[in-house]
Amino acid sequence: MAASISGYTFSSVCYHSANSNSDHEGFLLGEVRHEETVSISDTQISSSELLQVVEVHNHEPCAQLFSFYDYAGQVNEESLNRILKDRRKNVIGWYRFRRNTQQQMSFREQIIHKQLTQLLGVPDLVFLLFSFISTANNSTHALEYVLFRPNRRYNQRVTLSIPNLGNTSQQEYKVSSVPNTSLNYAKVIKEHGAEFFDKDGVMKDIRTIFQVYGALQDKVQSVCGEVEQSERVKEKVQEEVNKLKQQIVLRKRKTTDEERRLQEAQNPEPRLTPEENTEPPETSLLSRVAFHTPSTPERPGPSANPPAYADLLSLQNDSLLPFSSSPTSAALLPRPQAVGSPGHPSPSPLGLGLSAGPNPAPSPGTPYLGNGDGSSSDSLDRQAAGQEDDEEDDDDDSSEYENLVSEVGQLPPVSASVLLQGRPAALSPDGDASVRGSQT
Amino acid sequence: MAVSAVHLESDAFLVCMNHALSTEKEEVMGLCIGEVDTNRIVHIHSVIILRRSDKRKDRVEISPEQLSSAATESYRLAEMTGRPMRVVGWYHSHPHITVWPSHVDVRTQAMYQMMDQGFVGLIFSCFIEDKNTKTGRVLYTCFQSVQAQKGSEYERIEIPIHVIPHEAIGKVCLESAVELPRILCQEDIQFVFTKNLCSQMSAVSGPLLQWLENRLEQNKQNIIELQLEKERLTQELATM
Repeated sequence: MAASISGYTFSSVCYHSANSNSDHEGFLLGEVRHEETVSISDTQISSSELLQVVEVHNHEPCAQLFSFYDYAGQVNEESLNRILKDRRKNVIGWYRFRRNTQQQMSFREQIIHKQLTQLLGVPDLVFLLFSFISTANNSTHALEYVLFRPNRRYNQRVTLSIPNLGNTSQQEYKVSSVPNTSLNYAKVIKEHGAEFFDKDGVMKDIRTIFQVYGALQDKVQSVCGEVEQSERVKEKVQEEVNKLKQQIVLRKRKTTDEERRLQEAQNPEPRLTPEENTEPPETSLLSRVAFHTPSTPERPGPSANPPAYADLLSLQNDSLLPFSSSPTSAALLPRPQAVGSPGHPSPSPLGLGLSAGPNPAPSPGTPYLGNGDGSSSDSLDRQAAGQEDDEEDDDDDSSEYENLVSEVGQLPPVSASVLLQGRPAALSPDGDASVRGSQT
Repeated sequence: MAVSAVHLESDAFLVCMNHALSTEKEEVMGLCIGEVDTNRIVHIHSVIILRRSDKRKDRVEISPEQLSSAATESYRLAEMTGRPMRVVGWYHSHPHITVWPSHVDVRTQAMYQMMDQGFVGLIFSCFIEDKNTKTGRVLYTCFQSVQAQKGSEYERIEIPIHVIPHEAIGKVCLESAVELPRILCQEDIQFVFTKNLCSQMSAVSGPLLQWLENRLEQNKQNIIELQLEKERLTQELATM
């Protein structure tokens, strides 16, 4: 059960009490509401709580004591009606103010309460007790108040709240309103209410704001449509470009094949056997590229890189062909920049504490292509074979970044995280390429 | 001691209570208007509700402008009542907090006392509840500041305060009481105007209206009864 009283009504009771030089009593007028709150918890589907809310709207002070009862505590119904008149139906309780007494109902009060319950026909009549105490030097005074429900067996005391500006929050949903029976208030609100509500009874402000929201949503939808269209167009054009590239590659292969056949026709024997295993750099590159490209339709450009690098590395060729033939991904591009010159790896490891001994010193002759430390092609081959379709980031073998620690700032963020992951591997005592390779 | 006691008229007490109970989220404050008699008793006849310029939860200070406009108000009161009125003290509320003045309060009070030795401070503590006994409490106290020893911090001294019965609510007090919504409106004009205003209307203006209507009704009733009484007495007198 919850009870509330407005600050003004409460102050008024205090005021009347202060004006009386004896005990003071009166009736509480208001209404009792039953609020049902449905709550859903994990343990059960739904539970509804029935809360009885007592709202005190007004108080009817009695001019003097013993105005409706006698010394024996017998309530006189006539006197009661004389005091209450037509407000009788609004009575929800009564109150009493006493000085220097205990916060308990006196015997007479209990008797009166029982009779009032019967006469007024309010089963859960409440009793509000005010007790006033002061310090010895009268500098500090306290007014204590308790709301009783004497007709109940348990939970006889009820918290009385005073709704105010501080607790009627402006941000939250208003579940209950401040009790109010003022006629003037209702009249003013009604008179001016028409300006805020349109014919459907919806607040005009709400409708306006909703319109703004709707307009914004429409705009979002239309821009989204435009973006979608542009995506499809881009896709189409990209496909056409890829097709053209393939055609060029095929055409070139045809011409080189023809040239080779012509050469073979002129110098037939010695060339035949190694032919299958070794190929001139350009053709090997191109063949590999040609071989791999169709299998990766989604990413024609970047996915062509790994095989190209592997081939070039094995041929000890530091040509810049891979860079020129295919678009470089963002992850791959910074590497040459990181070490300064594209063709030469940094001569010494940077800040990782790698010992020069076990770690094969990168030789100038080793082309810088993904492995700054000149690790063997094993890892790269594995990389090339298994990771065509992977993200560029996966191509970044942990070992590749050993020598680029100091340049991490220039690398894209993902690479930096790969670097961090790769550090333990890089710090392993043996600089075996195979160990590093097993990292991937 | 400069002040021997404080007599607070009950209608001024009513306005203080109204003001203190208007919000539990922050401290409210106001000034006390009245006079000091030859027995060094401070009589408070009315209060002025002040606008809080600093909305921090625990700091309550009066700006010089507010003091000066309060002085103007008290001159007006003096003319209306025909008695010399002036600002004799200040009050503020302690929602959810103990009624005793904080160090800041004591220091502020000391400052005002430098201006006027008879200046008193009132504190209303409200929205206190003892959860175990479901007992609510409203307390009020009166104090002044004194310097215990030279150069040391100020401490409070307790001043006895009595609420003096005043059957009718004075015009001045009524005006002060209804001033609250206007002050709140002014405070909010800079901020979310409409939303706060609606909230104020329902939380403050509404109940205020309701109480005034109730009071009016009661007064009408009392007047009728008193007139009947008067007739009866006149007749009785005539027969004698």
